[in-house]
Amino acid sequence: MITTRKPKMKLSDYFQRGKNRTETAMGLLFVLPAAFFCILFDWYPTFDGVLMAFYDWNGYDTPIFVGIQNFIDLFAHDELFLKSMKNMTIFVIGGLVLMFPTIIASVVLFRVRNSKAKYVYRVLFCIPMVIPFIVGLLMWQYIYNPQFGFLNQFLKLIGLESLRGVWLGDADLAIWSLLFMGFPWVTTGAVLIYIGGLQAVDSSIWEVSELDGVGPVKKFFALEFPLILGQFKLNLIGAITAGVTGYTLQMIMTNGGPAFSTLVPGLYMYQLAFKSQRYGDAAAISIVLFAVSLLLSWVSIKFIKSKED
Amino acid sequence: MEHATTKPFLRRLGWAELLKHATLIITCILLFFPFLLMLQMSLKTQKQIIFELFKIKSPFHYDNYAKAFREIWPLVGNSFMMAIISVVLSVFLASLAGYAFARLRFPFKNLLFAIFFLKMLIPGVANLIPSYKLALHLGILDTYLPVILFCAGTTMPFWVFVMRTFIEQQPKELFESMRIDGAKEWKIFSELAFPLMRAMVVLMSINVFTFIWNDYIWPLVTIPTNTALYPITLGLARLATLYKGQLGVLTAGYTLACIPLLILFIFTMRHFIDGLTSGSVKM
Repeated sequence: MITTRKPKMKLSDYFQRGKNRTETAMGLLFVLPAAFFCILFDWYPTFDGVLMAFYDWNGYDTPIFVGIQNFIDLFAHDELFLKSMKNMTIFVIGGLVLMFPTIIASVVLFRVRNSKAKYVYRVLFCIPMVIPFIVGLLMWQYIYNPQFGFLNQFLKLIGLESLRGVWLGDADLAIWSLLFMGFPWVTTGAVLIYIGGLQAVDSSIWEVSELDGVGPVKKFFALEFPLILGQFKLNLIGAITAGVTGYTLQMIMTNGGPAFSTLVPGLYMYQLAFKSQRYGDAAAISIVLFAVSLLLSWVSIKFIKSKED
Repeated sequence: MEHATTKPFLRRLGWAELLKHATLIITCILLFFPFLLMLQMSLKTQKQIIFELFKIKSPFHYDNYAKAFREIWPLVGNSFMMAIISVVLSVFLASLAGYAFARLRFPFKNLLFAIFFLKMLIPGVANLIPSYKLALHLGILDTYLPVILFCAGTTMPFWVFVMRTFIEQQPKELFESMRIDGAKEWKIFSELAFPLMRAMVVLMSINVFTFIWNDYIWPLVTIPTNTALYPITLGLARLATLYKGQLGVLTAGYTLACIPLLILFIFTMRHFIDGLTSGSVKM
């Protein structure tokens, strides 16, 4: 994996006086700071998190070892946790379905003939990425505002007053309102990544398909989608991980309410840890989520692989 | 004049092309819609928002911006400080280590590289609570430090790997000739390796910067009481509850909060687009 200039050096050779020793010293000096940060602020919390899941800890007393009791409690007695897992399933499935508008937009953009127009669209698509995501969320919070929010005012304007709702305040609607929020569900960063994938392909392939007179829909399934499968897999894993472990959206928009209808396990974990000081139970949820996202990613990649053959 | 050019233009364009443009233009309008709404609301009083949301007419209330500026300015400052220090620290560490792994000989190289490589395979999605615990024990809560230090730690695995791969792709002779001329290792790094890595450095900087700029939960956890240190994300969420009855001022604040990154984008646009569309981001 690593190329060295000279084959096989003995350990003592590195410390010989002169050039070797300076190079050893500089090499270690260059690498160790990065290693230190990675170990202390990334590896250590990862290991500590696994350990914490087997302890009860309230933030100041000595942690008490409880074995797998935290996990048993979650799955056997904790109705809120089970409810949050159900909600999470909806968010994950929603997230996967809503990946497709992005793919369609990417292919449409790629097929535009005029290269100048193409560039303009790409620049425009970059702009949502540099707007702080919190601004988008807070604007949607206003759009859903039941009293004078945009949505209800708009429904009144077009004479559909009967459809006005309290959206995020309605236990039956809140989860769907949250899923609707990304409308039109085009993740612009992903568009650029897909476009990159399509551009990296040898251009003769498009000329051949042109000559064969392949229709636009068939061209998508036979050519374009298979070509961006690598990018799709990466985004798929991103979407799964975000769906399983993410909770910023729910935290800001509804804080899990009303009546826990938008509570997701990640948010429940946050509340257990930082509101109820039940750090052990919270760490156990983290481990469960970690395992679920890893498993789902692995299964979906396997599934795509088997389809490829 | 307009009529004369549109007709042949349309015929040349064809229905298929027209459909594509229509799809993309509608997508763009819908994507930008919340922000366009924000812009037009930011010039209105609360009364105008409640009763004339759909009318774009004067009097425009520019004073919303004056009021919002006082609230937004410290938030932008905090976010900038955290983001810039994080970028400088993590780019410095990652490029140094990446260069050393690619071009220097030293003992335990494989073992040390495994520290970074293995962490890429084990993502830190369960890190929040133990990281908080660590920050608590280090006594650095309610400062910028947790954001900066943990950012440097967690960006290392991926970016050390990227930097190493990049330097390995550069011709060895460049480095050898400088070494033969008797240049010190630090000089080789700072005058040859680092400038060579420029494209990667820019990409990493943008990446780390936008990550810190948008981070919500980690600063929320590690800045529990000192609201004077709030970054934009936390600050805007807080203002949204404080200024509930002054949507004009609030949306003016949102608009102001968008500006710094937009300016940065204008300067780095080429790198930004090239980096993402290079076709190398895949599995």
